[in-house]
Amino acid sequence: MAHIFLLPWMIGMIGVTAGPLVASAVLAFTDYDLLSPPQFIGLDNFVRMAGDERFWAAVRVTLVYVLVSVPLQLGFALFLAVVLDKGLRGLSLYRSAFYLPSLLGGSVAIAILWRQIFGEEGLVNHVLGWFGVELGSWLQDPSLALSTLVVLNVWTFGSPMVIFLAGLRQIPEELYEASMIDGAGRVRRFWSITIPLLTPIIFLNLILQMISAFQAFTQAHVVSGGSGGPLDSTLFYTLYIYQRGFVNFDMGYASAMAWVLLLVIAAATAANFIVSRRWVYYGDE
Amino acid sequence: MSDLTRRSFLTWTGAGVLSLAAMSLVGCSPSGSGSNGSVRFAWWGGSDRQRAYLKALDAFTAEHPEIKVAPEFGDYDAYQERMTTQMAARDVPDVFWIPSPAVLTYRGAGLYRDLDGIEGLDLSAFSAEQIESFRLGGTLDTLPKSVFSPVVRYNTTFLDEDGVTLPDELTWDSLAEFLVDYAKDNPEGRKGTTYGPYHDMPFESFLRQRGEDLWTEDGRLGATVDGVAAWIDWWEKLRKAGATTTVSEQDGIEPSWSQVGGKVLVTFANSNHIVDDAQAFPDYVFDQRDMPAAPDAAAGHHFTYYSRFAMYSGVPEDRIQPAAALMSFNLNSPELLSLVGLSAGAPPNTALLDQYEPDATPDEQKVIAVTREIAATEQRARFEAPAGSGSWRELMIRELEEITLGQKSVPDAASAFVSAVESEIAGA
Repeated sequence: MAHIFLLPWMIGMIGVTAGPLVASAVLAFTDYDLLSPPQFIGLDNFVRMAGDERFWAAVRVTLVYVLVSVPLQLGFALFLAVVLDKGLRGLSLYRSAFYLPSLLGGSVAIAILWRQIFGEEGLVNHVLGWFGVELGSWLQDPSLALSTLVVLNVWTFGSPMVIFLAGLRQIPEELYEASMIDGAGRVRRFWSITIPLLTPIIFLNLILQMISAFQAFTQAHVVSGGSGGPLDSTLFYTLYIYQRGFVNFDMGYASAMAWVLLLVIAAATAANFIVSRRWVYYGDE
Repeated sequence: MSDLTRRSFLTWTGAGVLSLAAMSLVGCSPSGSGSNGSVRFAWWGGSDRQRAYLKALDAFTAEHPEIKVAPEFGDYDAYQERMTTQMAARDVPDVFWIPSPAVLTYRGAGLYRDLDGIEGLDLSAFSAEQIESFRLGGTLDTLPKSVFSPVVRYNTTFLDEDGVTLPDELTWDSLAEFLVDYAKDNPEGRKGTTYGPYHDMPFESFLRQRGEDLWTEDGRLGATVDGVAAWIDWWEKLRKAGATTTVSEQDGIEPSWSQVGGKVLVTFANSNHIVDDAQAFPDYVFDQRDMPAAPDAAAGHHFTYYSRFAMYSGVPEDRIQPAAALMSFNLNSPELLSLVGLSAGAPPNTALLDQYEPDATPDEQKVIAVTREIAATEQRARFEAPAGSGSWRELMIRELEEITLGQKSVPDAASAFVSAVESEIAGA
């Protein structure tokens, strides 16, 4: 009987997730142009990646994006969570307002808005102009284009912030009171009590946001017009997969790239779990 | 029902996963099926064109109440991406427009039904010679839905306000000189033109004047490194002289007309674009003329592009005639033309165009005028882009980014572009 209740989920799992997953795993070893049957080519797609300059460009861009935007986003989210944890009036309103970008940030509409904001005559340059800083379009400068996407990701801090807020509420107040009696200041309390007891939540957010950052696509596609430019400076890995599969009719290679991404994410997650034993403190230890 | 054990449940689930994976690899049998028997019609454009064609499809349905039409509209880029998915699933619309880079790619994928002898397909408006010219590789499997040519479009309001006139005889050198002078110290800060070497039709025009073809009959890139370099050089001279909008001003190599249209005097475009583009700037009047030509331009360099549409090869027998009726409506209906206008180009049916002309808007009159002018010129054969070349414009844009950011010289970029395109074609 229980299995029958599981059936709807299983049908969806097979149809939408597992089936395509197995299919893409097979396609990764084929030359498949979507128009004719796949031809088995063994490991050629993976060997080709090693010599593909754009593949390595996409890896570099994505790694920079993950390594810069995720810590910034979490830092900002933690800062705001700590501020909101002070028992402000209208906390629900602030929490909803700060959470809104997380809902909108991955949308096409916001990405289009970002193009306008960082354009040559956009809002950012307009404000910088007040201080005598004259810049061109951020999106046409290879040294600045990726930073606009980093800012967009940091802006969607609401989701980790809400999780941090919940975590902060779990920290026993007695610990803070005892430390204040012992003369600990605000900063000392934050580093010696808040952070250690929050490490499981930090770790959770780190894993979630890291996986999400590795898979970022919409923002790069819209902001760069699908090209990943200028000069591949916004060529996210997922965008390159999309280009190879749907623009260049190279679905076998795209499938192989997708599996490499899966393995990289799995490896990064596993590495984080291993390293977490050194810095994550679970209260029952 | 017998008890479902955990083992049997998991066995059936695993079988289901493998079955689904196998099915997705093998592919479904061709369907192209519209729900409840409707003829599926796919086209691209902006929201105005979407509305216009929906009205036209209503008119078709009124004329043929027994035929239902299921419209499938998309933006140009999204249309192509959706077609890719539909092709993979062999679920292609019954009648569909064909993007210019994909004509031979779709042909190679077996998407087109042979249109010779299809009952209900009315080609009586075309001469035998014209029908022969529509054939690809001897087969009539696509038809032109519209025609257009590359042109130079200019803002006559700016010309009047700035007190200048375009030279009567436009050569590449005279146009460059004119644009540099125009932009220099322009009181309104207007530029001569956008930075536009990415634009395919003017590029092809330039190459043909040099005696080269963008694509050859045997499916290769016809442009030489020298030809590509000469084209980019012409633009680079303008850009460095300040006669074009900067890449930053136009927000990329491929500018948005709404962003730059009010800043430039001249732009290179397709002859039909004026219909929609002029509406973005209702305070200005635009006109257009033939492309500049070198004094020693090769004979027959002019060309008229046939934008094509086709019937899917997998259309079920009972829907072939309704699909043919829809294609005939597109080719011959004065009512359709009155509703959609010339935003997609002039109709290949010249009798239809003559009938429509008195009711054409002023901008459409300009499309008609330049189309007729170019159609009357000597035109040597022109060949469609081969399979594998679909991303050539993206490759061009990437090289142009390198040039404008000072990372590559023009000769190196031209060489890289030619190599990249040839490699893509070879890999197809």
